[in-house]
Amino acid sequence: MAERELKVGIGDMKFARGDSRIITYALGSCIGITFYDPLIKLGGLLHIMLPNRVDPNDPKVFKYADSGIRETIRKLTAFGMVKSRTVVKIAGGAKMFEMKGSSDFGNIGQRNAAMVKKILMEERFRISAEDTGGAYARTMLIDVSNGDVVIRTVGKPEKHL
Amino acid sequence: MKLKRYEDMNLLELDVMKEISSIGTSHAATALSKLLQKEIRISIPEVNILGYEETVDKIGYIEELVTATLVRMSNEVNGLMLFIFKLDLANAVLEKLIGKQYESFMDLDELAYSALEEVGNIIICSYVNAFTQLVGVEIDLSVPSSTVNMLGGVLTVPIAEYGYETDKLMYINAEFIMDGKKLSDGLLMLPDIKSLNDILEKLGVS
Repeated sequence: MAERELKVGIGDMKFARGDSRIITYALGSCIGITFYDPLIKLGGLLHIMLPNRVDPNDPKVFKYADSGIRETIRKLTAFGMVKSRTVVKIAGGAKMFEMKGSSDFGNIGQRNAAMVKKILMEERFRISAEDTGGAYARTMLIDVSNGDVVIRTVGKPEKHL
Repeated sequence: MKLKRYEDMNLLELDVMKEISSIGTSHAATALSKLLQKEIRISIPEVNILGYEETVDKIGYIEELVTATLVRMSNEVNGLMLFIFKLDLANAVLEKLIGKQYESFMDLDELAYSALEEVGNIIICSYVNAFTQLVGVEIDLSVPSSTVNMLGGVLTVPIAEYGYETDKLMYINAEFIMDGKKLSDGLLMLPDIKSLNDILEKLGVS
């Protein structure tokens, strides 16, 4: 069976229905958020880079957690996603470098994770699984045929969320 | 401030950055040469202003395991310096320094890891020293911090740090030539936008 594979770049979102896989590579401090409605086999993967959109005219909505999550929900809802059925999983938000003497530096991952959770809660979506924090990059993949989410990191076995 | 983003630099300004980088990288090569007691030549660097994905493609591939050393700049120039080792350059350095080669960065022991961190730090420091002398600015450098990680993940650090200012990175692409082998470096200099304006102004091109 020829499966479609969609690649999501940094600050972007892709969604698909049925036999497809959506993948985003090497999430560092960024966060990958998957939305999956199992009844209609609709899945989306959002890759955000920063917590909040400061300039409301900035067209890059998917770059930020706040505008990115809201826009993803809006789009997927238009394609039939129902909130009560939707499974949400998140991964990423690592701290790639440990800087001595400057604790605020490199905390962007943590801030991203906090904002993602806050916005999802405001939008009343429950996070059913997460793999965040740590000091390593992650590749995140969702199989839209069954909603399986796989996390790949270097030197560790694959993890199913 | 004249420039709002890296990509606003015109050809003349880029040329000036390239000229300075060329002197900076040759200082770095000299320092590395001394450390390894080996002749190291360096090609004239290109200064590339690239998006995240283009930078990844230029250096390697997104899930490629690399060792990266990060140093923060402060005082008259604020920003980050990042040096990325790919396995071939790392092995050439480690062979000479500790007499060992590694199949993968996952196998690095503590000694090899700190050796690479130190070499990355020396390259960054000698580059920045040349830079400060040429431009006439004071730059303080933090202690280095390193990581063994996917290339794509490493590059999200500078891209996120300056994400509210720019979506571009400044990649100084030069080749170290050791024993007739070309080894590609991965040096990124990332002043914040205010500092970039100050630098260009000091050099009289802005």
